[in-house]
Amino acid sequence: MSQELSVVGKRLLRPDAPDKATGAAKYTGDMKLPGMLIGRVLKSPHAHAKVLDIDTSRAKALPGVKAVITMADVPQKPFNRNLLTLARPSKAEDKSRDEFIFNPKARFVGDAVAAVAAINDSIAEEALKVIRVEYEKLPAVFDPLEAMAPNAPRIHDYAERNIASHILYPFPKGDVEKGFEEADYIVEETFVTSKQKHCQLEPTACVANFDSGGRLVIRSPCQLMHLAKRQLADIFDMPEGMIRWLTPYIGGGFGQRLSLTNEPICVALASKAGRPVKLEDTREEDFLMRESRQPFIETGKLGVTKDGIIVALQSRLIADAGAYFTHSGLTTFVNMLNFMGLYRCPNLACEADVVYTNTPISGGMRGYGNPEAIFALEQLIDMAAEGIGMDPLEFRLKNIKREGEPSPSPSIPIESTALHECIRVGAERIDWKSKRATKKGGVKQRDVGMACNTCGSGAAPAFLEHANAFVKFNADGSANLVVSPCEMGTGILGVLAQIAAEELGLGSEDIHIVTGDTDITQFDIGSHASRSTYVIGNAVLRAAREAKEKLLERAAKLLEVPARELEVRNRRIFVPLHPDKGVSVAEIVRNAIYNFQGESLNISGRCSFDPGGSRPFLATFVEVEVDTETGQVKVLKVVMVPDCGRAINPTSLEGQLEGAAAQGIGYALTEDFVINTDSGVLISDNFATYRIPTTLYVPEIEVVLVEKPVPSGPFGARGAGELGMMGMAAAIANAIYNAVGVRIKTLPMTPEKILNALKTK
Amino acid sequence: MKKQIANFVVNGEPYEVVLDPRMTLLELLRDELVLTGTKYGCGSGECGACTVLVDGNPVPSCLILAVTVRGKKILTIEGLAQNNTLHPVQKAFVECGAIQCGFCTPGMILTAKALLEENLNPTRQQVRESLAGNLCRCTGYVKSVDAVISAVEEMRRGGATS
Repeated sequence: MSQELSVVGKRLLRPDAPDKATGAAKYTGDMKLPGMLIGRVLKSPHAHAKVLDIDTSRAKALPGVKAVITMADVPQKPFNRNLLTLARPSKAEDKSRDEFIFNPKARFVGDAVAAVAAINDSIAEEALKVIRVEYEKLPAVFDPLEAMAPNAPRIHDYAERNIASHILYPFPKGDVEKGFEEADYIVEETFVTSKQKHCQLEPTACVANFDSGGRLVIRSPCQLMHLAKRQLADIFDMPEGMIRWLTPYIGGGFGQRLSLTNEPICVALASKAGRPVKLEDTREEDFLMRESRQPFIETGKLGVTKDGIIVALQSRLIADAGAYFTHSGLTTFVNMLNFMGLYRCPNLACEADVVYTNTPISGGMRGYGNPEAIFALEQLIDMAAEGIGMDPLEFRLKNIKREGEPSPSPSIPIESTALHECIRVGAERIDWKSKRATKKGGVKQRDVGMACNTCGSGAAPAFLEHANAFVKFNADGSANLVVSPCEMGTGILGVLAQIAAEELGLGSEDIHIVTGDTDITQFDIGSHASRSTYVIGNAVLRAAREAKEKLLERAAKLLEVPARELEVRNRRIFVPLHPDKGVSVAEIVRNAIYNFQGESLNISGRCSFDPGGSRPFLATFVEVEVDTETGQVKVLKVVMVPDCGRAINPTSLEGQLEGAAAQGIGYALTEDFVINTDSGVLISDNFATYRIPTTLYVPEIEVVLVEKPVPSGPFGARGAGELGMMGMAAAIANAIYNAVGVRIKTLPMTPEKILNALKTK
Repeated sequence: MKKQIANFVVNGEPYEVVLDPRMTLLELLRDELVLTGTKYGCGSGECGACTVLVDGNPVPSCLILAVTVRGKKILTIEGLAQNNTLHPVQKAFVECGAIQCGFCTPGMILTAKALLEENLNPTRQQVRESLAGNLCRCTGYVKSVDAVISAVEEMRRGGATS
């Protein structure tokens, strides 16, 4: 087989880009259906309160109001909005199903209590104002450590001391106590990560209506639509086949859309009103009612020999779930896997408590526990290196795992890693040696820092991971590709088209992608865990291969040569040694469809693919400047060196890493989710108070691709969606320490914290 | 409040609307005129997703009452391409890979267009300063700045059509 690729590896334009550039791209909030009503949600103003009584009579009487619903009007089935729970074997009694559409007890300021649908937004707002709710206020607790105290208010009946779950690291090794005894140097430190918000530009929206057949049609930007359909069917006790889930263009996800959001309320309103309903979040509601990144208190301990070998690694985690469980168990699990699994170490132990608090709900955000783990781990690495007098870069090179060793999911060995090279390349690009050696002086101090990490390409074996793809040829020789990723800006549609085109010998413009409709697409989890390129890409490759085989079979008959002697390239099937002996793809396809010899066929191929795993790696280097008078940190330069196997589309890959780097800079330095600790009211509920990086805050980012194709990936590719997020905060923390000698262990690393640390140094 | 008949000029087209004086320009565009390319991102003028040009100047349409821009020249993203030909800034955003989820894109493209019509030789820093009011969560801005710089060439060659 020829190794020269014509489509894969090229910086092709994304198929969705032109629509987005002209405003033609339609997002959920742009949808307008005849008779559509506007929904609004009434939220609890109290952080912890029983809902005793709701009087909706005045709201119902308002002209223009078509539906008012409370807990009495909706199914009383408890659920966990986290859709990934459906992708794991279910347990008979699952305590994580701890919420209802409207909860009889509000557990955070913003918990939904009632909803209305009216002919316009103003009337809906008016209706909310005249709903009378009688609350019985309860004492509330906002800090996880306080929540675990013996006399803390009980948030969920089943959870003593508000501990939702105690989790042990499932793959312990050796004996950490003995390991620490053998260590020459031990570092132990506690790190606190923050409740970062996804801040995807498109606020949550949903349009629900029941069509003439009584089927429920939902339009929503969910990342996991096949799972969402099932979850919704469960909650409303309706057959899943009566639900059709459509996904218009999605304005960013980053993990905000791994759960049901406002769909249940929207569906309940549509059902009550008998008309389509659009329910959209305001930006304030997005901050308040939608999930955030999981905050952790992580106490990590690392033991190392004087020769720089890690001998023991231990961690104790407290995960702040917020008011409901959602993703908290899973993000904790991912945190543990990545903390324990990045470096070679014979003695490992870790345990965690997931704790409820009366705060807005924690969920999963890009990295899903991994960046949080890395913030702790990669600083401990630097601290240990300093303790034994070794360059932290050399220390990492000594301890990172090689091919064949267990990955963070220990049953899956590392298929391929170029991390050593990534570190060396990055160090050179940022000029590590000379910048570290340059001695400082003056008010503004500069230095460099680094971090490395891995992440998943899919979440096998822990999660259901199979992907389904279908390719069918059209009579003109183009092909339709039916797949179900979630295109939320990652560029996955273009990548999948490139994979299909390469295999089929077509141009990527010949691939028409059909997606975003559960009536047409076969089961796929959707986009999470950076799985789309690796897992869905593999399904696409194999589906295309099956179609290609049928194509070649027909061509073989026509050309009277064995199929194995044929190749497809540039829309033509030919014999490589006699290229003029060939036929166009279009002709073969057309003659198969319009076949009057009794051999008709619409050539197609499909594949249901169940993956193993192959993890990408990343080395992140940053240069910072710290102003010792103001405490402000300026990130001067970022160098990211990923090993993602082959880049199917280098521009898209760079875009994912650059975007993740910017999110990492915000996570590290400016993004602070602030709650009033007397009332539980969210203070940082808009972009003025919650600061995400602007063009002035993100420096030039250099992405250097180290391409080492992996055998199990489609054309050697692995995932990359989350990869760039993991190391930024740690790299910046390490750089700050290198520059001014203070180590900030809580996020965000604000000027105040740096100044305080400098004062007490 | 009493509604009134109001006249608007959007993308060169005249519109007559029964206007509620409380209506913002964003609501007028999206709900009344069904020009949904302009987006609601925050409602408080912070994110730039609602940016349109009024008499050539970028404004946050979520903070402007529609009644105040009657008769003014309003340009939305839908009005930028002419005769199925993309404006150089649109073309550059597509070609430089500066578009990911696309939600910030209309606002960013219009802001960039306004910048280049005022200054056809901006530095990268000047581009960053001009786009500082357009938040993007996907791209990290690297390729967005590349795109604006790359549009300069074509605009110099007279590629701009409006």
